[in-house]
Amino acid sequence: MEKPVEAGRRRFIKSALGAASALAMARMAPTWASPLGRSYSDVVNANPAVDLHIRRADMNIGGKVGRPITINGSMPGPLIRLKEGQRARLNVTNSLADDTSIHWHGIILPENMDGVPGVSFPGIKPGETFQYEYDVQQNGTYWYHSHSGLQEQLGHLGPLVIDPADGDIGADREHVIILSDWTFEDPHEVFRNLTVAEGYYNYQQRTLGDTFADIRRQGLAKTLEQRSMWNTMRMSSRDLLDVTGSTYTYLMNGRDNATNWTALYKPGEKVRLRIINGSAMSFFDFRIPGLEMVVVSADGQPIKPVTVDEFRIGVAETYDVIVTPKSDRPYTLFAESMDRSGYVRGTLATEVGQQAQVPDLRPVPERGMAAMGMSHDMDGMDMSSSKGDESGMGGQHEMHGDHGGGMAASQQRPSAPDLGIEHAPGGHGPAAAMIARNPVSRLNEPGVGLEDVDHRVLVYGDLIGAHPWPDEREPERDIELHLTGNMEKYMWSFDGVKFTEVDGPVEFNHGERLRLIMVNDTMMDHPIHLHGMWMELENGQYPRPRKHTISLKPSEVVSLQISADAPGSWAFHCHLLYHMKAGMFRVVNVS
Amino acid sequence: MRKLEIVVSLVLAGVSGPVWAGHAEDDWPEPVKSYRTGQILFDRLEVTRTDNDEDVLVWDMLAWYGSDRNRIYFKSEGENQKDDGEPTELESAEVLASRLIAPFWELQGGIGTRGSLASGAERENYLVFSLFGLAPYRFEMDNSITVNEDGDIAATIEAEYDLRLTQVSYLQPRLEVAAALTDAEAYDRPTGLNDIRVGLRYRYELSREFAPYIGAYWSRSLGDKADQIRAGGGDDSETGLVIGARIWF
Repeated sequence: MEKPVEAGRRRFIKSALGAASALAMARMAPTWASPLGRSYSDVVNANPAVDLHIRRADMNIGGKVGRPITINGSMPGPLIRLKEGQRARLNVTNSLADDTSIHWHGIILPENMDGVPGVSFPGIKPGETFQYEYDVQQNGTYWYHSHSGLQEQLGHLGPLVIDPADGDIGADREHVIILSDWTFEDPHEVFRNLTVAEGYYNYQQRTLGDTFADIRRQGLAKTLEQRSMWNTMRMSSRDLLDVTGSTYTYLMNGRDNATNWTALYKPGEKVRLRIINGSAMSFFDFRIPGLEMVVVSADGQPIKPVTVDEFRIGVAETYDVIVTPKSDRPYTLFAESMDRSGYVRGTLATEVGQQAQVPDLRPVPERGMAAMGMSHDMDGMDMSSSKGDESGMGGQHEMHGDHGGGMAASQQRPSAPDLGIEHAPGGHGPAAAMIARNPVSRLNEPGVGLEDVDHRVLVYGDLIGAHPWPDEREPERDIELHLTGNMEKYMWSFDGVKFTEVDGPVEFNHGERLRLIMVNDTMMDHPIHLHGMWMELENGQYPRPRKHTISLKPSEVVSLQISADAPGSWAFHCHLLYHMKAGMFRVVNVS
Repeated sequence: MRKLEIVVSLVLAGVSGPVWAGHAEDDWPEPVKSYRTGQILFDRLEVTRTDNDEDVLVWDMLAWYGSDRNRIYFKSEGENQKDDGEPTELESAEVLASRLIAPFWELQGGIGTRGSLASGAERENYLVFSLFGLAPYRFEMDNSITVNEDGDIAATIEAEYDLRLTQVSYLQPRLEVAAALTDAEAYDRPTGLNDIRVGLRYRYELSREFAPYIGAYWSRSLGDKADQIRAGGGDDSETGLVIGARIWF
């Protein structure tokens, strides 16, 4: 892999400055992210009310002074710890020059407490205090963030952990890890760059040299065929993330790599890590070299334990893992951006100051033909499955690079239902540059770049709910939505229609059980978030796992069961911040 | 200018008035707002040294403002030969309304003018329609048809391709073909193919916004136009070296 010279130099400067400023940084970063974490015997401090103060402040980020939005003086904001069964009272005071808001991501609450300006409430004006108040009816790992403009990109976010009613966290100690992406550019400038200059932040595109390398590796005919497919579609197989490490400094609990956020453990302890992807635009691949992780919760909801070595976490998703480090040594907590343009690391150690070897970034992955929804007719051309074609895996959709994920499966993974989606090209107008010709379930694939790793990677097909959910009815009705985009013009939408162009909300009937079918007609991964209600993923497992945010791979179709039990208006959108800004947003009305 | 005002108001009418798609109180803000943006792009801003040892300053720029579907464009090309005492030659200055009609194509229509920028010079005013966008294989294209006040119809095709050598450097072949569908004697455009120009530039991005380049071009006149030039004792082909920059902001 070639690295741009600029990026290398930038990284060097960053680390040189970063070391000098580590001390200053330690003062500025949130106090909750203490190396000691929280041990099981701690008492939950369920104060009657939590006051949150939102303001801009200068802060040292990776050796440079930025001006993030802070909450009670830190970025990310404070860890809010609630207890299942309590009544939450949260007073949010806005000291910004603009309106703000806080959305409690993944929390089931009344419509007017959901914190989406224009959908749940008018927003919080400068100088005003808004009182959020709701009953806490769930437990687990969640987070909160602004739903106003592009404030999330400025660090207006924080972790929210709810202890179970019985107080048992199932471990001896726990640490919260919130990942985020910081840029010193104005977020509006980032958005403009994306809209006027496609690929502005992508310094990992294919070059003439890659084409020559492909010819040497696989011959001229196959290379020409592949290049011709991508070029005819005017798309890039290296289009993985819109905003990359070329502008982002990735942060773990607000600390950069040089500052090395550290979590302490005692050998033999069971440690629960609550990992939250609070970034604006970055999918991360998370692993702890030398330590296996038992995933026990997804999006705050308990699942049957799955042992893995690595998992991909989409924007806004959360996973809880249990690790049991036996030997007295440091381990690197390694979160690599999906496009391999950068990473953030911390350390799980027995003493502050220790560090372990930091892995190299892996080569930039490339999307295969499966991304184009050509799996049925073009399977022989899927680059990612070149080694897996003969492996004898049965289903059509498993032919696409499933062998990496295949190793992760300790249990047999069933198939998701075949929904037989078909549609004609051109169906979504100029806002959709592509139609997935043959969308398939990709729940058993680990995702681009993880197909060939030699360890266990979590896939959605592994998730099994810890217990059944209360509503066991079969869905009465299907709603189908297509994820559409046009990278060239940076248009993102559902069904080819941006939020500002739609003529009304998506209607759910109150009390009904419905099936939401989503088809990804784009070349990007999208984390889709429904407010106010859970989505039970139809991955063929029972009990189904339930999620607040579901990531769709290119040309993938997924189906979700939803109980429309929350009357009111709810936001439904892609959680990639700039996709939402561009129009990939709908209102769901339950009435 | 009156025409321009009409064009602008028509385009903006198409852009404005987002429909509120949620359920909310009237005085609540929209959860996601519509946006407009714009760009000024000098695709070519260069000094040319021709094989006749003439130095010519050349520009080829466009500016746009609007949303993703509806935009207003200003496009201009022209040149000024150094030390020849002649005024600047405007190849085109156009104002167009643009509508995204397919994922990679904009259909544009507007008005333009070309000719000498000397005071009192008679310029050619025309209507212009363009198909502007990205062809398969990522050829950037601007295909235009113009009709002047005398009813003369001309067509031009411009195509560029960026061959990526590294993450910040490109080899860019470029093709320009001009043809006349009707005989426009007053403007030296006999019916048929008039001119072809091919160029090759090597560009290096110091930033995405500022990319200096060097290159060369070859152009020649064709058909009746070439005959006319030769009959007048002129040279029907030209080569040159260029140095310049691609700049946007």
